[in-house]
Amino acid sequence: MANLRHLLPYMARYRLSLLIGLCCAIIGATVSTLSPYVLRLAVDELSTGTILLSSLTRYGGLLLIIALADGLFKFFQRMLIIGTSYAVENDLRRALFARYMQLDQSFFSQNHTGDLMARATNDLSAIRQLLGPGINGSATALFTFSAAALLMLFVNVPLALIVLLLMPLTTLIFILVGNRMRRTFTKVQDQFGTLSTRVQENFSGIRTIKAYAQEEAELAVFAADNAHYRTLSMRYMVLSGALWPLMTLGLGIVAALVLLVGGRLVVAGQLTIGQLAQFNAYLVMLSFPMIMLGWVVSLVQQAAASMDRLLEVLTRKPAITNPEVAIPLPHPRGEITLEGVGVRYTSERSDDRLSPRPAWMLHDISFHVPAGSSLALVGATGAGKTTLVNLLARVRDPDAGRVLIDGIDVRQLDLANLRRAISYVPQETFLFSRSLRENVAFGVDQADHAAIAHATTVSCLANDLDQFPDGIEAMVGERGLTLSGGQKQRVAIARAVLRNPAILVLDDALSSVDTHTSAQILTQLHELLRGRTSIIIAQRAATVRDADQIIVLHDGQIAEHGTHNELLQLGGHYTAMCRRELLEAELTD
Amino acid sequence: MSRGSSQRFDDDVVMGKAYDGRLLRRMAPFVAPYGRRLGLAIALLIGAALSEIIPPLLVQRAIDGPIQSGELNGLWGIFALYAGALLTTFTLRYSHSYLINSIGQSVMMDLRIYLFRHIQQLSLSFHDRNPVGRLLTRITNDVDALNEFLTSGMLLILADLVTLIGIILVMFLLNWRLALISLAIMPILALIVTIYQRVMRATYRLIRQRLAMINAYLNEQISGVLVTQLFGREAPSQDYFANMSADYLQANMRSVLYFAIFMPTVQLMAAIATAALLWGGGVGVLGGWASLGMLIAFVQYTQRAFEPIRNLAERYTILQAAMASAERIVGVIDTQAEIRDPDEPVTLPTPVRGTIELRDVVFGYDPHEPVLKGITLTIPAGQAVAIVGATGAGKSSLVGLLARFYDPQEGVITLDGIDIRHLRQRDLRRHIASVPQDPICFSGTIATNIRLHSTEIGDAQMRKAAETVNAATFIERLPGGYGYEVRERGANLSLGQRQLLAFARALAFNPEVLLILDEATSSVDTATEALIQEALARMLRGRTSIVIAHRLSTIRHVDRIVVLDKGRVVEDGSHDELLARQGFYSRLYRLQFAAQQVEG
Repeated sequence: MANLRHLLPYMARYRLSLLIGLCCAIIGATVSTLSPYVLRLAVDELSTGTILLSSLTRYGGLLLIIALADGLFKFFQRMLIIGTSYAVENDLRRALFARYMQLDQSFFSQNHTGDLMARATNDLSAIRQLLGPGINGSATALFTFSAAALLMLFVNVPLALIVLLLMPLTTLIFILVGNRMRRTFTKVQDQFGTLSTRVQENFSGIRTIKAYAQEEAELAVFAADNAHYRTLSMRYMVLSGALWPLMTLGLGIVAALVLLVGGRLVVAGQLTIGQLAQFNAYLVMLSFPMIMLGWVVSLVQQAAASMDRLLEVLTRKPAITNPEVAIPLPHPRGEITLEGVGVRYTSERSDDRLSPRPAWMLHDISFHVPAGSSLALVGATGAGKTTLVNLLARVRDPDAGRVLIDGIDVRQLDLANLRRAISYVPQETFLFSRSLRENVAFGVDQADHAAIAHATTVSCLANDLDQFPDGIEAMVGERGLTLSGGQKQRVAIARAVLRNPAILVLDDALSSVDTHTSAQILTQLHELLRGRTSIIIAQRAATVRDADQIIVLHDGQIAEHGTHNELLQLGGHYTAMCRRELLEAELTD
Repeated sequence: MSRGSSQRFDDDVVMGKAYDGRLLRRMAPFVAPYGRRLGLAIALLIGAALSEIIPPLLVQRAIDGPIQSGELNGLWGIFALYAGALLTTFTLRYSHSYLINSIGQSVMMDLRIYLFRHIQQLSLSFHDRNPVGRLLTRITNDVDALNEFLTSGMLLILADLVTLIGIILVMFLLNWRLALISLAIMPILALIVTIYQRVMRATYRLIRQRLAMINAYLNEQISGVLVTQLFGREAPSQDYFANMSADYLQANMRSVLYFAIFMPTVQLMAAIATAALLWGGGVGVLGGWASLGMLIAFVQYTQRAFEPIRNLAERYTILQAAMASAERIVGVIDTQAEIRDPDEPVTLPTPVRGTIELRDVVFGYDPHEPVLKGITLTIPAGQAVAIVGATGAGKSSLVGLLARFYDPQEGVITLDGIDIRHLRQRDLRRHIASVPQDPICFSGTIATNIRLHSTEIGDAQMRKAAETVNAATFIERLPGGYGYEVRERGANLSLGQRQLLAFARALAFNPEVLLILDEATSSVDTATEALIQEALARMLRGRTSIVIAHRLSTIRHVDRIVVLDKGRVVEDGSHDELLARQGFYSRLYRLQFAAQQVEG
């Protein structure tokens, strides 16, 4: 719970609002406890039969004035305290988003998107609940309780003690039952998650289910999941169903005791009927705040748990940051050098704990790509090709060795400058749900019409635009166009081209593009690549033969390095790869 | 579990009617089996509502009786009654709550299973049209909304009504003049609540919309964070997000304002009612037509009468949400499966041999635009056939028809001479298995991914299937082997591994006829590709198989090639024959397959 102190800096910005809000709460609570007192005066005068019509009117008027004053202070209290809670939530949400934007890929691979979303929604809302209704409610509850306690003790000590000692018991019941409820509820929710996943997977894979006529078997599994969910839910209902009746019972017993004991005191002449009515009114007034206090306890627990999850993100240091003394790279030439670079596997599996450190994924990689030349990387799936090119723009940093651009270690370069120098066309294209134009122009601040036209021509995206109702203004995504894999890749190529980068990285970028188009794109790219450094990753020898140098990655190391012809003479992996492809072709002839 | 993806479809919560008899009648059969328990639950609830009205009455009795007359003994009796009323209320409330929730849970379970079964048997054309998220919402959120309706909507309105009428009755019985005074404020209160509710509904809608926008943006930005970072767009993204967040804040502040006005106003109404009672009651006490105890009891009753009226807004929303959900659920239930089992199914002659025949088959997803325009084809048992053709030639539609995912508009498809429409779907698919294009994986173990949840496939059969398709090697290397936990969508397996697993699945079910959609994936490395090829060859051996071939190498393993063009069979024969013919196939071959030699 100590971690909630991390909220203080966020709240400090609004300390004036909070302070005034709390003052309003104190005054409002005090004022509100006066109305039972007015009631008592009226009842007492009534019971002795000494009252005048004019004083009845006066008491009625007093009640209205008290209610008005109370309402006014409650209005400001709520506006200030609840308003602040929303403002803090807003600040926290922005801080969280800013941190997401900075964090590195290892973070995102450890956390599911759904989970990260939940932190920005559910967890934030739990914290807001504490800061808003939590603070607001407990302020009202504590101040009202204190003021009423004083007034009650002033009237009659034994009766006051009954109320003051017994009423917090209802709070306690609420806390105890609430705690157990929450624990059970977590299980219910987990099972609900299982249920949802089952439905989602079944319907996503309905073709497979139908193809193997497994509908009945799936239904049986789903029914069993449901039965378990019902059992857990009923376990929860046993507790939650008891909560409110228990509260009502507890509060009712206090009221009954006040009637019994108070009645006897009235008969004994130690209490007036008006005072008994006053006590009764306090009981009504305090019952909601007492429950509220119990609720606040669970709010604190939930908020503390949520704060943990927020702090995990907010205090997480990005692995990749701009160096303190950053060397600018305003005019990159595009010369790439790797010196003894090594990258370890990220250890996610627990069985890796036997060895102190995970094994090398890439080991002792060194090469030099002169500015303006091209390098091709080939190797089996999982050989680390993508990891290797990701080192250039510091998607991650190597565990050994150095990566240099224009002779400078990338870790010393200004991060924004470095990334501006490189454009990637990744294996899987990510498109934002905006217009095609915005997607193409994503990487630049401003793009004129001619530049975009050029980029769409080079990427052959221009061929597709006619098909779309709004051309390049067409919206992409859920509420817009669904693009084919090839179209997506062409958008990615256009996006990369528009940046006019010194270094262009094509990571298996033509895999979803049909043969004809890919030939067309390659021709266009040849023009573009002139005078630019390029790295091309491909699965097949045919795509890479024209590169200035070819590197074959095998078992995390450079197995072969040279031009197409040099590698053919080596008679190693590359030759085998070419031979396999040839053989495949011959067999079919 | 990520619920984020399903939330997006919740935007379609359109608030409409709070009561629709037609919809309720449609839902009634699901509640009917629990009718008697429901009746008991209602009785318990009414009892609880009534017993809750008793305490203020006892306060009146105590003050006007023993307390004012000084008879201490009478006080004990009232106290005992008071405690009895409290315990009765507790017992009735608690047992009602337990009972109604157990009914609700049972109804939900029945409804979920019914919907699951129904949606599962709907045709693929339905599944093609409806995103999974939307269907998930029907089974989860919409069913929940109906449960809310049952457990806290409908019945609690009834209870509120009973409470309100009970209080009014008691008040009139005690003192009609005081009753009129305290009830005078109620219509005004109801008016305030109605206005507040109307204003808040619009505000909540705005809040929901803005939250949905934040969620959608957040989801997209987290998924594409690397792109944003590599292209250096963090700052614009943050600005954009800050604007969205500010809009959301503003909408919330509006709701805070309304609530901050509403609450004190209600309090003020209560104060007015109390003041009026004090004044009127005072006059009554002085005039002798009211007592002190009555005055105090009336103050308490008035406060209690406020509650049902205040609840009105909340209950109304529950009803509306339930009606909207019921509407959507009924919509799903009313959707008929286009592919249905015949009333009198025919059984296949055993043993099934696997002869396939198509006669003049015409089919289009849209009947006006046929994809297949009269296909006649006979495939003898045991023959492996490759279907080739340009994109859009109708190859995948052909497979869809053979597995009876769709029915042709014209023509007949037979298996061993029997029209497949005369067979039960599960009987047909026990003998015709199709391996989908995208190798689907489910969360579960490797074993459940191979045999799904079928109880008919033993361990030996499963292992044998895995061995035959070259999957056993990688499976045995995984921690836990066949017990290895596969994550959702097979996220912890490579594409090649998923492909092999899909093959193993097809073989484990040991069908007489295999339909394979074979997708050339350049993302699979050459070595894995070789494994897949070998597996494919073994699967085709001695089995009627129809392969939609995209891979050059696949064509090598088949006995016969059928060329489709624009929905018609244009050529039919062996690879060499067709090449020699110098027709469509030889052109297609040069364009589509020979290119793989260069490009991959």
